[in-house]
Formats: sequence, C-alpha cells, structure tokens
Amino acid sequence: MIVLFGLLMVLGAIIAVIVVASILASLFAVGVAVAPVHKVPIRYNLRNMQVRWKTSLVTALAFTIVVGLLTVMLAFVKGMDRLTQDSGVPGNVLVLADGATDEAWSNLPPASVRQLPDDLQRMIEKNQNGDFLATQEVFVICTHMIPNPNPGGRKRRFVQMRGLDNVLIAADVHQIELESGEWFSDAGVREVTRNHNGSSIKDTALEVVLGNGIARTFGADVGKDSLGPGDIVQIGPRFWYITGVMKASNSAFGSELWTKDRSVQELFGRANSYNSYVVRTKSEEIAEQASKLLSQFRSERAMKAQTERQYYSNLTATNDQFRYAILFVAIIMAVGGVLGVMNTMFAAISQRTKDIGVLRLLGFRRWQILASFLLESLVLAFVGGALGMLVAYLLFDGATANSIVSSGPGGGKSIVLRLTVDGSVLLWGLVFTFVMGAVGGLIPSLSAMRLKPLESLK
Amino acid sequence: MIEQLLANPITLLCLVISLAVVVAGLVFAITSPRLFLLVIKNLRRNLVRTMLTCLATMVLVAMVTMIWTVIYTLDMVTTEKSKDFKLVVTERWQIPSQMPMTHADYVNPESPKFLPELKGMIGPNDFMTWSFYGGTLDPTKFTRENLLFMFVMNPKHIRSMMDELDTLDPALVKKLEDTRTGVLLGPERLAMINKKVGERIKVTSLNYKGINLELEIVGELPAGRYDQSAIMSDAYFNDELDKYARTTGQKHPLDNKRLNLIWLRVRDRDTFNRVGEIVENSPYFSDRPVKVETASSGIGAWLDAYRDLLWGVKWLLVPAILVSMALVVANAISISVRERYTEMAVLKVLGFRPNSILTLVLGESMLVGALAGFGAALLALLGINFALGGIKFPIAFFPAFFVPIWALAWGLAMGAGAAFLGSILPAQKACSVKVSEVFSKVA
Repeated sequence: MIVLFGLLMVLGAIIAVIVVASILASLFAVGVAVAPVHKVPIRYNLRNMQVRWKTSLVTALAFTIVVGLLTVMLAFVKGMDRLTQDSGVPGNVLVLADGATDEAWSNLPPASVRQLPDDLQRMIEKNQNGDFLATQEVFVICTHMIPNPNPGGRKRRFVQMRGLDNVLIAADVHQIELESGEWFSDAGVREVTRNHNGSSIKDTALEVVLGNGIARTFGADVGKDSLGPGDIVQIGPRFWYITGVMKASNSAFGSELWTKDRSVQELFGRANSYNSYVVRTKSEEIAEQASKLLSQFRSERAMKAQTERQYYSNLTATNDQFRYAILFVAIIMAVGGVLGVMNTMFAAISQRTKDIGVLRLLGFRRWQILASFLLESLVLAFVGGALGMLVAYLLFDGATANSIVSSGPGGGKSIVLRLTVDGSVLLWGLVFTFVMGAVGGLIPSLSAMRLKPLESLK
Repeated sequence: MIEQLLANPITLLCLVISLAVVVAGLVFAITSPRLFLLVIKNLRRNLVRTMLTCLATMVLVAMVTMIWTVIYTLDMVTTEKSKDFKLVVTERWQIPSQMPMTHADYVNPESPKFLPELKGMIGPNDFMTWSFYGGTLDPTKFTRENLLFMFVMNPKHIRSMMDELDTLDPALVKKLEDTRTGVLLGPERLAMINKKVGERIKVTSLNYKGINLELEIVGELPAGRYDQSAIMSDAYFNDELDKYARTTGQKHPLDNKRLNLIWLRVRDRDTFNRVGEIVENSPYFSDRPVKVETASSGIGAWLDAYRDLLWGVKWLLVPAILVSMALVVANAISISVRERYTEMAVLKVLGFRPNSILTLVLGESMLVGALAGFGAALLALLGINFALGGIKFPIAFFPAFFVPIWALAWGLAMGAGAAFLGSILPAQKACSVKVSEVFSKVA
C-alpha cells in the first residue's frame, strides 16, 4: 500500500510538472503570437489545419464533447449552489429542536412570540396589521401514489409537505408569492366534486398550495404541463384541492406543498407539534443576534436557532459530493482528450517534418516552431471547446432537474433546480479547454522543436 | 449469477459482444496467421501512436467502468427478484417511518400475537426489526468523525436476514447477544472514531434525546458494504427506553415510534402479494397504517430524488464518453490509413483482396481497443475493489460501490466496440484504395 501510495505521489508530481510546464509554455506561445516583435508561423499552422480539415474536425469534436459535458455537469452543481444560496431570506431566523440535524428530525411544541423576552420580541418584524412576522411550521415527507403508473415503473414518490399556522404571514416571512389561484382558507378544507370510477361524487378535500416545481411533476403524471387551481390530487390517505400554485422562484419551496398545519398534524400523527419556527428580523445582522439569543432561551424544549441563510448554506454536502465527482470525471475525460490531441499533433508533425526543416532554414528558431505547434493545438482545443460550451448553453441553460440537497447523511430536501450556465461555469470550461490544449500540444511540439533542419529534409 | 445477467440486458449484450470478439480474434489468428502477424507488426511500427490510442481508450474505459458500476449496482438492487423476496414494512404515509413496537408482534412468527393468516408464509428466520439510533461521541463537537449511526436489531436475525452478512462469524453474533451493551462496528467507522475492539464508547443521542448509551465494541463487521456501519442489540436500546420512562415518570417522546422498519422474507411473488394484502388491510395496524413493499421497490423510491441525475449519467455522460473514445480511435486509425495509402496499394498489387485489407485495418484497431478495454476494466476491478475499498460515492444507503466481475465484459466490449465504430470508415477507405491513382501520385 505504501509503495502504491509512493508511486502515485511520484506520478502525480510528474503530471503536475507537465501540466505547469504546458501552461507556462502555452502562455508564452500566446504571448509571442500576439506580440508584434517576434514572428511565429501561425498562418502556416492555420492553413495546415484547413488542409487536414477532417483530422482537425475529429479532434475538435472530441473537445466539443468533453468540454460540453463538463459545462453541463458544472451547470447542474451551479444550479444546486444557487438554490441553496438563494433559498433563505437574509433577515429570517430558523429555529429547530436542539440536536436536530435536519428539519425532518426536529420536534417543537406550539409557541408564541409573546413568550419571548422583550428584547427578542423587539427584534422581530411586524406586518401592516401589527402581527409578528413569525410562523410555526410542521414539515413531513409523505407518500404520493403516482396515478396511472407505468407497468413495472415506480408506484409512489416522496413529497414534502409544510403545514403552516398562518399562511399569509408565512408567505410574507418566506417572500413567496402566488403565480395563480389563492392561498388556502383558514379552515383548510372544502367540499368538492370529484370523479370516482367515472361518476361524480361529493367529497371533502383538504386545501393545498403547490410549489411551481412539484405542480409540474404532478401535471406530468396526468399528461398536463402543470396542475393548477381547481385540480384535485391524492396525497397520503386524503384528497387535496389545489387552491393555488406558487410563483417560480429559485428556492427549495418550489418542491413543497403548503397547507394548514392542522391538516398535517392530524393526518400524520404530529398532534400539537411543529418542526420549526421561522421569524423575520430587520436585517441579517439582527437575525444573527436573534439566533444567538433564541439558542440561549430556555423553554419547554431546548432550541437551536440559526439564520435561514446559514441553514440553507449548510445544505451543501450533496453539492460538494457532486462537485468532487464531477471534477474527477472531468479530469479523467480531459486525460482522454489530451491523449487524443497528442495523437493528432504527433501525426501532424510526422507528416510535416520536411515543412519544419524548411521553416528552420527560413530562419525560424526552435522556440518559434514550439510556439507555432502549441498554438495549433490550442486553436484546435478552443474551437472544439467553444462549440461544446455553446451547445451546452443553448441546450441546457435554464433546464430544470430534480435533485436533493442535504447537510450530510440522514436528511435532505428534494429540490427542483435550474441548470445555470453562467460566467463562472464558462470560465471553468475555458480553463479546462486551455489546459487540455496546452498539455496535449506540449510534448508533440517539443518533438517538433528538436527536429534538425537537414535531417528533416532528407 | 445467471439471474443477475438476465436482469441486466446491457451486461448480457456486452458479454455476447466480448465472446464474439474473442472468438473472432482467435479464428482470425488461427486461419490467417500471416495477416495476424502483419497486424501486430503494423501496431509496433508506430509505437507512440499505438500507446497513445491504447492509453486514451484505457482511461475512458476505466471511467465508464466506474460510472457503470454505480448504475449497475443501483439497477440490480432496484430490480425485482423472482424468488426469496425481502419485504419491507414501513409506515404507510410518511418518512421517516416511525411505528410502535407492537406492530412487529403481529408479523413476528415467534410472538403470541402473530397474525394467524400469515402462518406458513413467514418462518422464524424470515423476520427482523430495525430501529435507527444516531449519536455523537463528543456532544460538544458535532463532526463527521464523532458521529455514530447504529442499526438496532436482534442479533440472532443478523445472519439470516442481513444482505452479505450470512457468512458473518457466529462467534461475533454470540458475543453481541451475550454482551448487552455490545456493538459491532465497520472497519472504517472504527478507524474514524479511533477505537479498537474491546474499547468502550459513550454515545450522546441526537435523535433519541436523553437516551445516552455506554457501549462496548465487541467486534468488527466485514469490510465492504458495512465499512461504516454499526450494529447494536435491541435489548439494550429497549431497556434504556423503559428506564427513561421509569426515571422521568413519562414515556420518551419517541417511545411509541421506536420501530423504523420490519423486514420479512417470503418465497415468491404470490406469497408477497398475499402477505402484503393481509398486513395492509389488518385492523391491528390502523393506528399507524403500514405499507408492504419489496426491498427493491423501497430503495427505488429513495433513489427517486436522484433520478434526473442518474438519467443524465446513463444516457448523456456514458454515451458521450464512448463517442469521444470512438473519435480518438477514428482519428488515430484514419491518420494511420492515410499514411499508408501506398502500402495498401502495394498489398493489392501483391494479391490481397479488399476484404483482407479491411480485416487488417479493423484488426489493428480492434486488437488495441479490446486489449486496452479489457486491461482497463481489470485494473479498475482490482484497483477499486482491493486497493481503494470500493467507489466511495454515498448515494442513499450505499457507502461504497464495488466493481462486479462483469466489468471485464463491459471493458472488452466497450474497447472493441468503440474501436470498431471508429475504424470502420477508415478501413473501408483503405480497402477501396485505387492502385492506379496511388501510383500515379507517387510517380
């Protein structure tokens, strides 16, 4: 094992040296190409790429695939990062039971802001009616039986349901607006007529508001783009009447169902208990102070308070896991791409030994030959890489995907994220392209540089 | 083994392709030894190109092997078996499933409350209960290294019911049964908490607030699937919950929710359907309704959150890697063919038929592809399973993924397939070389 580790260390060091040398040499090549003083036969290289267009195209296509995939994978992680960063409201404080590592594992009794000391009460914002912007929430992950499942396909999925004591205040606290319909009523229940085996029957349904993402998922089950107000869906043992759909927002709430707290508590055996409290303060600084005071506050149950931003930014264990996996896959794919471009460049050089001899006799120096072939490799990489990034941007930017965010094992939230190809993703794509082109081109260019003029003309 | 193979058509296809390639290669080497030697000589002529193509293929095949190992394992565990069904009984409408312990009595063949309708369908060795206990070794510092997540179960059911633990040393199980406060830990978890067998640990609970345990490490679980797991006896756990009620005068908030899941084993799908119907409709479970599903279906539901990601990996990433591999081979072979137009023309003049030239070019690329693919898969199999202890990519309940033996077939089929796709056009071009045109250019 130690020998293996030692060998890996040596191999890693050699690769690191090659990569660094390639990058430096490539930067030098680009520098001399754009500098007006020294001549590098770039036109000769570009014309050769045109002449050998099939080989150039195939090599560039390999880059297109590798960089395109890297861009898509990074866009996925970027989407997760954005979602965890944007999910919390800066002034919000989230309170869980002490020791709970996730909202699903927390258990808190009903509480009121009035129970808190005056200084804490003063930190909590009020709405126009003078009500505290504070909400008690019961959160369950429940089972949704998929209507008309495919034979052999999955029959159920888990959905996240949030029961709220006052939805108008909760919507204010979380800054969530409706895209269509209305919030559920205070009773949280209504008479409906629903289809049962082809005939209409009267029934009582609980009221629910759907997040934008989950509304689309439910819609797909019944062949619609999205479910909307007036639709009825069965979740758990009951039928639910959809009163509204939330506006699309880049937050975890897009994957949730919101309903009256009583409905959740009675249906899922959570009588008289909540999972979290959320209160709104004026600013992030006050939220931090309030979370410290709330954590110290002694009540029936010990509490752990943190700013909502902090809570969501801690849900990045899955993001990190995916990020490392993607980096690993990208590096291995890049190695494959590098070996491919190396092959092409070696072939290009072996076919052009006479040309190199002529160039040397025309007065081009060794380093100019090195620079010219390195630039050829970089151009191939950039053309392919840029095309890959463009394709990834056009096809995947803004696309939605289901995933999960968590702070580690034993918890997590299902989310609907939006793939994001932004500047940082494109920059990473460019860096990869550059490194692949540089490393793939260095060794063949060194061999071209070392050719002796007279020998190469033989 | 055969069932596994039949359940996975891609693996079956790879095996068929691999066998076909090996047989075709042997037939070619035996029936046309001169041509075969020419293939080898041609490959040796430009060693740098052969090595680079070989390396690129190996790197990409190794990558796909790793990715496909994860996909294959998840596919296997979510594919329904035709016999020896393992059933999972959990709370019907929500997760985490938290049921009263009394629920287990109705499906435990050794309990006096066992439902009579289930008699003959579930044997004493076909039942086990699970509770989950999470805690930290240092309540002042919640780090990954301090965390301990334990399966709480009756030790006598471990060997009969737990996957891959049927060969666990019976002496270890006996030790766990005899030591009330005993715990078995996976080797990685032991190393992580820096403890050895025989040492004692204090665990402060995270999910069962107030139920803190003092445990003695009585043994080590086998490496692999249970590297990071911990198993403790349900007797101690239940005693502590009872003690809590005695000392505080009230039951623990989770007292009536301590049972997380029940496992049952039945012989076939028919029995599964009958057991499911009896349990799901039994009035004994009405206070906390339960659902009965196969283990594969249960795991499938857990993996639902990853479905888009897995779809992308399966249908975008893997095909794209295979295409880029084919491009690398295509590039190398087309360069090689272009360099040898004159040689191909000479071969034709010497009486080689176009088919022989096609075989020659295809043979070169497929030999490199098949050997590189097989070599990469073999290296991945040995390196990942034995040197690295599996692919550590924790999805749902899987701490690590192990490369199956079928990976050798995947590697060979991938390498040969990509080489075939990448070289078929250059090979066709090579065999359609016109002698007169080539020699007129030379002249």
